[in-house]
Amino acid sequence: MCIPHGTMSLKRKKGDFLIPFLNRREFLLYSFATSAVFITNGCEVNGITTPLETLSQVQKDLFPKSKTLGINTQHYMRIVLNHPRIDDKTKTFLKNSVAWLNESAYERYQKKYILLNDEHRQKLLHQISTTQWGERWIYKLLSFGFEAMLGDPVYGANINEAGWRWLKFEGGRPRPKKAYL
Amino acid sequence: MIYDVCIIGSGAGGAPIAYELSRAGFRVVVLEKGEYYTEDDFDKDELAVTRRDKFTPPLWEQKHIIHEYKKNGSFMRYDGEEYNWSFWNGSLVGGSSNLMSGYFHRMKPDDFRLRSVYGAIEGANVIDWAISYEELEPYYDKVEKVIGVSGQVVKHTYQEPRSSKDFPYPPLKENKVAQWFDTACFDLGYTPIPTPRAILPYNAQERNGCYYSNFCGSYGCASGAKGSARAALLQKCNAKIIANAFVYKLQSDAKRVTKAYYYSRYGLSHSIEAKMFVVAAQPIESVRLLLNSKNKHYPNGLANSSGELGKNLIFSAGGSGSGRFVFEKLSKKQQKELMEIGVFFNRSLQEWYEYQHNGTTRKGGTIDFLFEHQNIISRVNSEIYDDEGRLIWGEALEKKIYKNITQSRVLTFEVFNDWLPTDLCSIGVDESVQDKFGVNVGLINLYGHPHDLEVGEFLAQKAVGVLEKMGAVDISYSISSAPSPNLVAGGCRFGYDAKTSVLDKNCKAHDVENLYVSDASFMPTGGSVPYTWTIYANSFRVADVIKKELAKEEI
Ligand SMILES: Cc1cc2nc3c(=O)[nH]c(=O)nc-3n(C[C@H](O)[C@H](O)[C@H](O)COP(=O)(O)OP(=O)(O)OC[C@H]3O[C@@H](n4cnc5c(N)ncnc54)[C@H](O)[C@@H]3O)c2cc1C
Ligand code: SF4
Repeated sequence: MCIPHGTMSLKRKKGDFLIPFLNRREFLLYSFATSAVFITNGCEVNGITTPLETLSQVQKDLFPKSKTLGINTQHYMRIVLNHPRIDDKTKTFLKNSVAWLNESAYERYQKKYILLNDEHRQKLLHQISTTQWGERWIYKLLSFGFEAMLGDPVYGANINEAGWRWLKFEGGRPRPKKAYL
Repeated sequence: MIYDVCIIGSGAGGAPIAYELSRAGFRVVVLEKGEYYTEDDFDKDELAVTRRDKFTPPLWEQKHIIHEYKKNGSFMRYDGEEYNWSFWNGSLVGGSSNLMSGYFHRMKPDDFRLRSVYGAIEGANVIDWAISYEELEPYYDKVEKVIGVSGQVVKHTYQEPRSSKDFPYPPLKENKVAQWFDTACFDLGYTPIPTPRAILPYNAQERNGCYYSNFCGSYGCASGAKGSARAALLQKCNAKIIANAFVYKLQSDAKRVTKAYYYSRYGLSHSIEAKMFVVAAQPIESVRLLLNSKNKHYPNGLANSSGELGKNLIFSAGGSGSGRFVFEKLSKKQQKELMEIGVFFNRSLQEWYEYQHNGTTRKGGTIDFLFEHQNIISRVNSEIYDDEGRLIWGEALEKKIYKNITQSRVLTFEVFNDWLPTDLCSIGVDESVQDKFGVNVGLINLYGHPHDLEVGEFLAQKAVGVLEKMGAVDISYSISSAPSPNLVAGGCRFGYDAKTSVLDKNCKAHDVENLYVSDASFMPTGGSVPYTWTIYANSFRVADVIKKELAKEEI
């Protein structure tokens, strides 16, 4: 991703390292969005969740406005997890973090994330935001959420330009005829 | 078939030669690694262009290795893929000139004699150019007319001499905030300069004028107004263009290049024969190609008997900053003016192109002022952290985004000063790492001279003064030695001495009779401006030389 300015494109992305993505535990599957992620507490299997289910809940918790605008973030995350121009490291990191979040949920509340109440989910998000992987993951989920909300409607998430209308954004012309997938 | 000229790379460095030579009746072929897109293909899809990097190769297929040096000679090694650090700028017919913003400045006469005018700087390899401003001026002028540069000449201390009184095209439409800027500058005693742009304000030269699409830099132009090498040159000549042709090797004997080998999209190898070869793949890739073309005649890389190939890589030093105009401080009329999109800001300052420092005259630079890019996703992303650098989300984030996006606008500035050439900043190849074609990748050795930061800092503070005067808030800037990968030059210095330079005065390799390098690689120093106008101008100059050479051969 470049950070386009006018003339200078300061593309240096050292802040965007994904180094910690496998360090926490090198146990996870290189699988797609709907495949199961096992939640472990070190030895036994506590429960099964799908990445999309958790991702979707976390994104709602992070930016509820998106839901009120009718943005189809879940549809967009399916695109993200299958996009040929998003590298495997990022996809794996997104999914691994689902497992790590759920592990933390079990450690603290003995339940998987999506079964927690609002207050506990927020507390947990604050807790993980103080870890390197958690901060990075939340940032990624917010920014993919904004891609869904503010990308061209042709991607099927920013329905009726709701995200654009909220921010009085007019877009550039010409608009894309089809999504870049 | 044997072509007269084979050009590698179709951007600002290669296209003027294709244009001039093919229009003069020579058989020209251009080998371009990227796709052939035209106006009809370009749209303003932020996700595709700036988030999924549609116009550059994925780093897991093609990358660079980066060594970042400290003054003591130690370095950190970065794998571009692993660290998501990209040095690609635009792989498509017309190169990154399709994606440029087209802020155009000429270099100044003293930029051509930096060493003589400003003296040596310890630890830097500053030299004078092999040509003078006066020799390049007719070609700067030609670029104004052929590529199409719009603007207005204003009198100021560092205004360079011009052969045409004014620009061939008047300035583009401007946002009213540019007048606030002018007022602030006059109050401060500075001369605001309407930034020249390589953009046609109206239909001309069989191209459509600018329709103020609101998304210019980083995006292809759907009208043809932007003076890309494709719209302004390649689409207007009959040079044969082979897209998706990645040139991986030049074959040579002791005196001449005989063939260019390239891989097609499907990885099949092909070759092209020509009388003359011109390399213009942007400095890092041009040098990489020459190094990867080593053979028994040139064991250290083609045209590298001097050992200078790859040395003295430079970027544009400086950095950027910004300030915000908030509704609270503005009248209703001003708010409306501020939020007018599409039209440009287009202002620069060259007040401090040189300045006094501890009793000596120092080379300074240029400051361009422009509105923050309209890209909405990146603007919203920049709100995710609060002022203390903490992540925020939920309602707090929602309010911050809404307020900042709908009730304020950010004016940015970019500082351009010389990136001093040094021994530690250079281009090589990494023989242990290959791209998807199995070809050794480029190795980028990076080092920023501390002097660059001092000059950048000086200029940034001047820009801050202007933003303050204009009433902006949240002013910040960053001057660093992080390179801007799209503003790159050097690596094949031109000069008179074959022992200390790779190219001669005409950008022909000293070692090889029929090899030219016509991108920014030839530049020993870069001036304190973005490079593209100079790249275009020099390429037109080299085209004239090649034309004469070919005419001689025909006789
Ligand atoms: C977002 C952005 C904004 C910019 N804004 C400005 C601006 O406002 N003002 C300004 O002066 N400059 C600007 N620039 C810089 C400008 O685009 C470059 O200076 C200019 O295009 C360089 O010309 P070039 O021919 O050296 O390289 P390019 O135009 O990049 O062309 C090089 C071509 O060579 C091809 N190539 C590389 N390797 C091979 C190979 N082995 N075989 C075949 N083909 C190959 C590439 O695919 C590419 O198409 C900007 C650039 C970008 C990306
Ligand atoms: S129409 Fe104008 S603003 Fe849009 S890309 Fe072309 S030159 Fe830039």
